[in-house]
Amino acid sequence: MPLSEYIIMRELNHPDINQFAVYRRVGGWETYAAALREQTPAALVQQVKDSGLRGRGGAGFPTGVKWGFLPKGVYPRYLLCNCDESEPGTFNNHQIIDRNPHQVIEGVALSAYAIECHTAYIYMRGEFASAALLLEQAIAEAYAAGFLGKNILGTGYDLDIYIHRGAGAYICGEETALMESLEGKLGQPRLKPPFPAVEGLYGKPTIINNVETLANVPRIIEKGVAWYRSHGTEKSPGTKCFSISGHVNRPGNYELPFGVPLRELIESPEYAGGMRGGRPVKIIIPGGASAPWLTAKHLDTPLDYEGVAAAGSMLGSGAVIVLDDSVKAPHVAYKMDEFFKHESCGKCTPCREGTHWLVKVLHRMAEEGHGEANDIPTLHSIYRQMEGNCFCLLGESAVMPIKSALELFPEEFEAIVKG
Amino acid sequence: MPDVTITVDGRSFSVPAGTNVVDAARMGGIAIPVFCYHPRMPAVGMCRMCLVQVGMPKLDPATRQPLMDAQGQPVIALMPKLQTGCTTPVSEGMVINTKTEEVQFAQKGVLEFLLTSHPLDCPVCDKGGECPLQNLTMEWGPGQSRFDYNDKVHFEKPVPLGDLILLDRERCILCSRCVRFQDELADDSVLGFDHRGRNWMIVSKSDPPFASKFSGNTTDICPVGALTTADFRFKARVWELSSKPGICTLCPVGCNLNFDMRHDRLMRVMPRENGAVNDIWLCDKGRFGHRFIEHESRLHAPLIRHGDHFVEASWEEALTLVAEKLAAVQSARGGSAIAGLAAPRLSNEDLYLFQRLFREQLGSNNLDHHLGSPDDGDHDDLGGLLAVGKGTNLMELGAGTTVLVFGADPEEEAPLYLLRLRALVQRGAQLFVANQRATKLERSATQALRYSVGGELALARALVRELLERGAAERIKLKHSGLDALRKQVLAQTPEQLAAAAGIAHEQIVALATALLEAEHGLIMYGAEARSAGLALIETLGALAVLSGNVGKPNSGMIALLPGGNSRGALDLGVRPDARPGYVLMPQRGLPAQQLWSAARDGHVRALWIAGLDPAACLPDAREALTAAEFVVVQELFMSETARMADVVLPAASVAERDGTYTNAERRVQRSRAARAPHGQSRPDWQIFQDVAQMLADMMVLPHPRVEAEGAKPAKAAKGAKTAKGQNEQVVTRPPEPPRWDYLTPDEVAAEIAERVPSYGGVTYEALAATGNPGVWGRQANEAVFYDGTSYENTEGIGIALPSLISTGRFTLSLSPRPAPVVKDERPLLLLAQPLAYGGDPLLRGSLLERQLAQPAIVISQSDAEKLNIQNGDRVRIVSAVGELSAAARVHADLPPGLVMVPAGLPGLCLSRIQTGPRTRVSLVKVVV
Ligand SMILES: Cc1cc2nc3c(=O)[nH]c(=O)nc-3n(C[C@H](O)[C@H](O)[C@H](O)COP(=O)(O)O)c2cc1C
Ligand code: SF4
Ligand code: SF4
Ligand code: SF4
Ligand code: FES
Repeated sequence: MPLSEYIIMRELNHPDINQFAVYRRVGGWETYAAALREQTPAALVQQVKDSGLRGRGGAGFPTGVKWGFLPKGVYPRYLLCNCDESEPGTFNNHQIIDRNPHQVIEGVALSAYAIECHTAYIYMRGEFASAALLLEQAIAEAYAAGFLGKNILGTGYDLDIYIHRGAGAYICGEETALMESLEGKLGQPRLKPPFPAVEGLYGKPTIINNVETLANVPRIIEKGVAWYRSHGTEKSPGTKCFSISGHVNRPGNYELPFGVPLRELIESPEYAGGMRGGRPVKIIIPGGASAPWLTAKHLDTPLDYEGVAAAGSMLGSGAVIVLDDSVKAPHVAYKMDEFFKHESCGKCTPCREGTHWLVKVLHRMAEEGHGEANDIPTLHSIYRQMEGNCFCLLGESAVMPIKSALELFPEEFEAIVKG
Repeated sequence: MPDVTITVDGRSFSVPAGTNVVDAARMGGIAIPVFCYHPRMPAVGMCRMCLVQVGMPKLDPATRQPLMDAQGQPVIALMPKLQTGCTTPVSEGMVINTKTEEVQFAQKGVLEFLLTSHPLDCPVCDKGGECPLQNLTMEWGPGQSRFDYNDKVHFEKPVPLGDLILLDRERCILCSRCVRFQDELADDSVLGFDHRGRNWMIVSKSDPPFASKFSGNTTDICPVGALTTADFRFKARVWELSSKPGICTLCPVGCNLNFDMRHDRLMRVMPRENGAVNDIWLCDKGRFGHRFIEHESRLHAPLIRHGDHFVEASWEEALTLVAEKLAAVQSARGGSAIAGLAAPRLSNEDLYLFQRLFREQLGSNNLDHHLGSPDDGDHDDLGGLLAVGKGTNLMELGAGTTVLVFGADPEEEAPLYLLRLRALVQRGAQLFVANQRATKLERSATQALRYSVGGELALARALVRELLERGAAERIKLKHSGLDALRKQVLAQTPEQLAAAAGIAHEQIVALATALLEAEHGLIMYGAEARSAGLALIETLGALAVLSGNVGKPNSGMIALLPGGNSRGALDLGVRPDARPGYVLMPQRGLPAQQLWSAARDGHVRALWIAGLDPAACLPDAREALTAAEFVVVQELFMSETARMADVVLPAASVAERDGTYTNAERRVQRSRAARAPHGQSRPDWQIFQDVAQMLADMMVLPHPRVEAEGAKPAKAAKGAKTAKGQNEQVVTRPPEPPRWDYLTPDEVAAEIAERVPSYGGVTYEALAATGNPGVWGRQANEAVFYDGTSYENTEGIGIALPSLISTGRFTLSLSPRPAPVVKDERPLLLLAQPLAYGGDPLLRGSLLERQLAQPAIVISQSDAEKLNIQNGDRVRIVSAVGELSAAARVHADLPPGLVMVPAGLPGLCLSRIQTGPRTRVSLVKVVV
């Protein structure tokens, strides 16, 4: 069942919702204006906490709790909106902005006010040139309307929002690498702790959230915690923009309440509309390339953080990749790990060298179609030498495709070795 | 920090809380392998070599007390993933396992991964044999390669990064030690990374590449052969080397080093650990600048002038000639017709015997250790009198310490101090840098005070005034005099007037005075620029140290940066016209170097002995004097300009060819050992002095030394340091023993010094060999500081810190500084002879640093350049009251107006021709061509 009211993609079907005037007419920016006049930052943080909003960047960390980590009385603080969106299969941030950049800007502005910050940056994947232009324009319109700048709406609150375009690295979506990049350095993750909330951008307390996360905030404040929690599940409240891709008939973004079964997303004609050519589902990667694989037997898994975790994977960014039986597992693992190898920043040994080696072996098996007797044990030990030992989650993610492929489809590897 | 108890591989011991697991385990003798972690830099956790299993005691959620199992042992909750030991701080009850199967699998895995990229060209790698990657692979790594692809990383190799360092990117394991050393310790951010993944690589960010005076250190801490020195490339395999402990005499830090020799040839110079001096570092001057030792143009035999050329002679012949000529002058005209200059890099034994030869055998006090150029300035005695208290160790200082660096450019004058002072700041010390211009150290200052050109004395007085007003005078513990005079002098101007004259805001002055006053430890360091302002300034700084209570105790006092590696030794040991060893004043002063040249020109001084100095290179007066003199002996390493004018040239052994001791800026005496046989027939300086002295004694020139004991007064030294009446030294009143000139080894000379010079008491070679307790510098019993090459370990002694003279109780400090020098010259600009590490030091010859020697230039401020319509590169002329010289102009964005800076000591740019004294006023004209 499609939602009666979209939260993230507000007025989804309004053709001109991307225009500032239209967004204003349907009530856009009103929540922000009212909050500035009537609500304290602390009250807003409390509502976000109570709403149970969880970060959409991958980890599903409760947003209000994260905001609460800011050390008291330390200023300046920064808000970073993460729009690096570079994970294969993940493409909702881009479309959220395309459809309606204003809600994102309002979300950023409202969140900035809530965490008492006066400078926010939106870090955009470099390739998102058109989305960046849309946001630039939306920001300009917000300034013109007096929602940004100095002494906003006479309340004394100041806020500037800047767009920063990256140079095309997946790792720059990782929060600390993003900060390094924003500071003008090579995009590589930092050692944690200290965590960004304590020492982030330029060493100052910093909150970083995904585009989709922040787009929720105006709606929560507007409609209230109870309304928000009436969507989704107890532990995963609200809705999620699922990006579904692969061998489905209608790949795309669908905003659904958390908890919808995987099967519904794939099969419902309202959503992905079933498998291309009716072929059987072979591999489901439910949360972006970093998520362990599921198979057809998991089709009844509810799409919420707990449900997918119980099935042995993770909801991650909510990017669902569904592959049919026309693919071979070694090929899929090869393609996925080729991506991680290409994106490895090089900082730590297991990821830098492990992904390279993995891809070497997988290339031989998947592309050249032959393998050495030792290749399978070697693959096992390479990923085991990486697993749990990398500096950041990128390297850990690279383990998932090969580990899943070897666990779920060992016979396909053995067949190649046998020749 | 309180101690916590941890259990590593089943062994429990205590370590300070907050220590990281790698360091903590090593305290218990358990080595966790590392690559990126280096104990001198914050951990980054990148290489993943140090993965270990970590567990914490499980706490009862209700009581927050550790849960106990049935055996009464705490229940341990293991962390789900292995942890990098270098980034994990220990806490109470932590359990660390470094040998489990899981840990070994991970460590072996990291090594295997590293080796899949690595070219394994060990047979042609200079690091081979002392390479952490080799060693760790032997101990922890896989025995065989499973990476069956012909796909190592490939880069062009090697890439020269400047003249000194070569980068082999194929060997680089991307640990970032080099980048972090440059960023965090050296403050020269000249290295960085580019690209990513397996193409992630080290790049040079500076032009010229790797522009840093500390670059060589990265080759030590690089855990592979990715960074090697151009100077050792393909010279030797490290296992063929034998390390000979020496001391660097190229600046007053006195870094401990090893001459790494293959047989008799110097292959490379490596740092030798000494926490109280250079830690584990060397500057590039020390590392690369010792090639002079083997330079082909070293003098190898004594030479005697025959008309307009020299003829080689035997030592016997040459020394006899010297003795006879000196004896002749002595008997005809007395000792005052003979003068001697010895370089401030000679050893204590040399210097001591030199002055004995002159005083006892020739009856001359005409002794000095300067060139005698117009800007020599007065002898610095405060750096010895107040000095630093015994027991000072900069390595232990941090919070609670205030350091004031006044009129100095440590990076150029004494490079290692830059690293040491920065480390101090990183540990929480306050660093105030006062100068008229920007220096590199200023970037690390907690507060910079840029006084106006010529405003230094006003600043010093303002500080003293501030302390006096706060009643500091009542708290002075030392014997002192002259307080009223000091008061009068500084109270003559109001704080506002002084602040205005200094060009420093009053609040900054107050802040610095407060910091000095409140410091638990206070150090004042001053250098060439401060000394060029004369004793008025230095003595005022001395009063500042005394008033702020920062003298006479460990980790406090004054550090003077003087030229050469052993100026302090020369001052302590009486190579000066006014005082004997131990600052014992002579009743009759001899001629200081500055008055020497006119005296020789006018025929008052007839014979000269010059050891290791080259006045003729740059002093027209000296050339005249040398021509006029009847007899000139030059004792040298090279055929210098001065040697060319000599009657007899004596070849001296270099620092690496003889034993000796040297006294550094903090008055630490350190021993250097012979690394090879002397070049040719050259001999140690002390031996030459002794042999001539013995001949003179045999000739009975002065059958009994004309000891000036009667009536000798303790040194007035820096005048600010008047000694108490009736406090005459035992040294002086002791009945003189017959002079001994039959020492066989320098340690016998050192023993005599120890016996006769009070503050050198106990400084025997035996005592100098003490190395302190193992582990005092964080060093581990079983390895060089986490694999920095093999040469670090200091088994040769860490030296002995002398007590400051004031703490001996034999001196009364005069607080009355002399009045400010009056400069009448109306010329608009002040000339600054800029001391440079890579200035004209002839010792850099033959080294790779020759290419980096400073170029002649006249550096002026932007605004003066605009006023005079001078562009970068224009030819300009400096005109002073006594002369002029010209060179290309360089406009400097950060130089204050009113100052002209010219590199000091360049052979092509003789500043002495225009200098009128320590301070010279000049004007500038553009040369129109
Ligand atoms: C390799 C890597 C890439 C990531 N890329 C993104 C990204 O493109 N966008 C994003 O929002 N979060 C990304 N993350 C997660 C962020 O580090 C961070 O957790 C997130 O932005 C927090 O926002 P949230 O609390 O709203 O989820 C990435 C993490 C890793 C390890
Ligand atoms: S796992 Fe290591 S190499 Fe890979 S992206 Fe993270 S820090 Fe870089
Ligand atoms: S050059 Fe050496 S020190 Fe620098 S990153 Fe590479 S291996 Fe490490
Ligand atoms: S700092 Fe001075 S003593 Fe140390 S190595 Fe450099 S020149 Fe030699
Ligand atoms: S990660 Fe600890 S030594 Fe490199």
